[in-house]
Amino acid sequence: MIDPAMVSGLSAILFCIGLAGAFTRKHAIIVLMCIEIMLNAVNLNFVAVAMQTGEPTGWVFAAIAIAIAAAEVAVGLAIFLSLYSTREVISLDEMDLLKH
Amino acid sequence: MAAEQNESSHLLMLLPALLVPLGLAFGSTNPSVEWSFLIIVVPFLAFPVIAVVGQVYNRQRWWKEGLKEGGTIALAALLLALVITVWLIGDYLTEVLLFKGQEESLFTWVTFDVLIQTEAGWALDSSGCAPQDGFCFSGLTMGVWIDAITLMLLFVATFLCFLICWFSIGYMNTDSINEDRNHRFYAQFLLFSVGMFGMVLADNFLWLFIFWEIMGLCSYLLIGFYYWKPSAAAAAKKAFLTTRVGDVFLMVGIFVLYRIYGSLSFEVIFDDPSTGLGGALVDVSLLRWALVMMFIGAVGKSAQFPLHVWLPDAMEGPTPVSALIHAATMVNAGLYLVARMVPFFDAANGGLAELADVGVLIAWIGGITAFMAALIAFVQNDIKKVLAYSTMSQLAYIFTGLGAALWFLAHGSNHEMHVAGLVVLGASLFHLFNHAMAKGMLFMASGSVIHEMHHAHHSSHDHGDIRVSPPPEGVPEALDNLIAYLKANSLTARGFFQLMDLDSSRTLTVDEITNAFRVCDLADVDSWDVEGMVAAMDRNQDGEIDPSEFDSFLMDYLIAGRVGTAASDDDFDPQDMRGMGGLAGRMPVTAVAMMLGSMSIIGIPLIGGFWSKEGIVGGVWEAVFAGGSMMAVPAMLVLLTAGMTGFYMSRMWLMTFAGDHRTEYAAEVVEQTPWIKTPLVVLSLMTALGGIVLALLGVGHFLAENGLLGLVDHEGHPVGLFEALLGLLKHAFLPDRPEMMLVTYATIMLALGIGPFVAARLHGGALPASAEANRLVAWLPALSAQAGRSEIDDLAESGFADALQRRLYFDEAYEWLIARTIMPFAAFAAWFDNNIIDGVVRLIERGSVAGSQRIRLITTGNARDYILMAAVGAFCIVLLLVGVS
Repeated sequence: MIDPAMVSGLSAILFCIGLAGAFTRKHAIIVLMCIEIMLNAVNLNFVAVAMQTGEPTGWVFAAIAIAIAAAEVAVGLAIFLSLYSTREVISLDEMDLLKH
Repeated sequence: MAAEQNESSHLLMLLPALLVPLGLAFGSTNPSVEWSFLIIVVPFLAFPVIAVVGQVYNRQRWWKEGLKEGGTIALAALLLALVITVWLIGDYLTEVLLFKGQEESLFTWVTFDVLIQTEAGWALDSSGCAPQDGFCFSGLTMGVWIDAITLMLLFVATFLCFLICWFSIGYMNTDSINEDRNHRFYAQFLLFSVGMFGMVLADNFLWLFIFWEIMGLCSYLLIGFYYWKPSAAAAAKKAFLTTRVGDVFLMVGIFVLYRIYGSLSFEVIFDDPSTGLGGALVDVSLLRWALVMMFIGAVGKSAQFPLHVWLPDAMEGPTPVSALIHAATMVNAGLYLVARMVPFFDAANGGLAELADVGVLIAWIGGITAFMAALIAFVQNDIKKVLAYSTMSQLAYIFTGLGAALWFLAHGSNHEMHVAGLVVLGASLFHLFNHAMAKGMLFMASGSVIHEMHHAHHSSHDHGDIRVSPPPEGVPEALDNLIAYLKANSLTARGFFQLMDLDSSRTLTVDEITNAFRVCDLADVDSWDVEGMVAAMDRNQDGEIDPSEFDSFLMDYLIAGRVGTAASDDDFDPQDMRGMGGLAGRMPVTAVAMMLGSMSIIGIPLIGGFWSKEGIVGGVWEAVFAGGSMMAVPAMLVLLTAGMTGFYMSRMWLMTFAGDHRTEYAAEVVEQTPWIKTPLVVLSLMTALGGIVLALLGVGHFLAENGLLGLVDHEGHPVGLFEALLGLLKHAFLPDRPEMMLVTYATIMLALGIGPFVAARLHGGALPASAEANRLVAWLPALSAQAGRSEIDDLAESGFADALQRRLYFDEAYEWLIARTIMPFAAFAAWFDNNIIDGVVRLIERGSVAGSQRIRLITTGNARDYILMAAVGAFCIVLLLVGVS
């Protein structure tokens, strides 16, 4: 059996990768993927804790988070699609409507 | 002949409706009462079918010809209800004791949880009981309650709904104005019937109220069936709102009843009306208020003073609707409700003697309405309006009788008073039956007259086409421009009228119209015939255009695409009795039906309504002699009204059927479709013979006490037919006490003698020499011609007659009152809603918009910056948490 600490470690590494990607990349879809990586890192952490304590709460939480992540991705992609169809760019640097 | 066969093939549709209940009756072991729910359920399921299928397959031949636009489906559903009702009555009569006050609970609808205090705190208790207070609120169930009153009303409702539906197939489907819209009529008709059946069968006050409201809704829809006519739309609104006033009171009354008894079920309440929740003695003053409130509801529904204003206007609906709602069924709902209140009063069986004054109130309202409505009916020239006021007056009779019955029953500790109460109660309910039958028939007969007058009028002009004057040069283009202009500027026709009306005279002249058309650039006014258009617009030909003329001119163009019909055509009103006369020779079936119906309403001895009306008048007077001095006024009023009824009903008949033809159209009338004649014949027999047969069978006793229906003498022993007839006649014509004898003969003299005689002098006259009348009616015009003649033009132009024409100014008074009270309040409420309630919402919205606009200027607008900030913030929070722990 895998040591829960190892799973937690993997989760931390994944989270950092996701965070770094979200900071540095311009392409909106890649940023979205990075956010997904972070989300799933957190899921892994839930699972790790669940393995350690033997309580089912963590498993349940992970399952719910996956379902919500799916919905969130759908919304996010829809926003990008409509942005692309109106402005024909998908770079985050160009998207600063809130400022203006 | 081929056409007739074709028509009768429609009746095949009815076969399943006949066979199903018969199959149930002979094939199933369950008693009829367990199938009684079908009376409500089947029409309720059929109504959406007609509405939806009719909408989808509208204009298809099989729908229009084969199913009469849904008419035969409705007829089948109503026949099923009728057959089950007859089956119920059969069972009831043969097993009357087993059946008494039968209740069948179908399902529990709502249960109430009660919050009770236990040692541990508050808890919900689903049994609805609060033990520490010692009472239980019971849940609401849906069930069926059957006793003699239910069955009588159920029979009246199913029987008349069936016949009127039959009549409608002849009346509605042959009128081009209803073309392709009849499925809505039949669907609403059926839903209305569901309301009536359900109300009568309901076993508690809540369901009674729900079905009551279904009827109210359908009444609104059906009165407004010709919704494009402003008068019909207004009448529908008026009926809805006026009855709503009563309904609010009814609802409050029902709430109070629930507070008192903890239940709305008849079974619980009537078990012992003197004890309420948990066996506590009922607070009489509270119960009195509840009953008075419920009575106000009944006043609204049955069009009694002071909520009577809607009924005459309701005649705007198609004639079958008038027959159905405003004569035969819906107006009886109020009477039914009052009859249901009897156990509260019945002091001999646990009722409360202190409620006697409510009975007096009911009798007063009834007496006043009876007199007032009869007075107004004197001067009406519209045949349906006469019948409408007559309905009001006759319902008021029944209310008076019920009031007297309740008064007697409240004094029921005295056995004689108790018996007298039951006699009046029986007479009142019997009058309800007689009146419904006669009035349903009278309305159908009047519909037949109107229908044929209308046809005669149409066919005398261009063989059925509406005569259209050729449109003046250039007018259609100008009107198209005008309508486009109104749309573009969102103006109403009235609004544009006011713009055109430069001198604010509320009338337009040719100059004003020319000017307006030029200013708005609608037409090249110099090149076309403005005067021609104005002439076409000017219906009453007074040279000026008033707003309604302008409206209807535009409507005609918009809807029918025609520009102004000739004025003389539109003035013809097929409902105006002044345009009839001498129809007895042209419409034999209708004339006989109308004669029998009128006789029943008047109370001509031995025919229909006589037996019951005599009972009511006698009963009310007996209440006076028994010490009810407060009853003297209603008693006097109903006595006088008997004579007045004789006058206005005879006047109506004579104006319509006797004398010379007053217009050329009246001479061309012919009776046509069998769909119209059949119900008239059936109801004629019912009216002529039903009264005496039922009176012989002791129907009053049956209705009042759930007694037996059969030939009995006064002590209730079975007797032969001849003795029973003798006893009945003796009871009616030779009462024991001399003062009652006086009342009886005064009534008969007024109703049979003076009233019709005066009517004959004023309006009677022999038929034209060429006419050949049926022998059944021919004697009547001839007799009326012998009464001589007197002219009453002076009287007819007096101020009082004018006041009667304007319905004693009730409408004006209500309008004034509403304009002073409700309108300012409504205006204030609208202002409050716009400025305060919406204002607060708008303030929040504007504040947040303004705030965010300011804040967003200090941001970078770049998504990655926000992610960074969020990450840094989250990191800080984690640090803080770690640091603290």
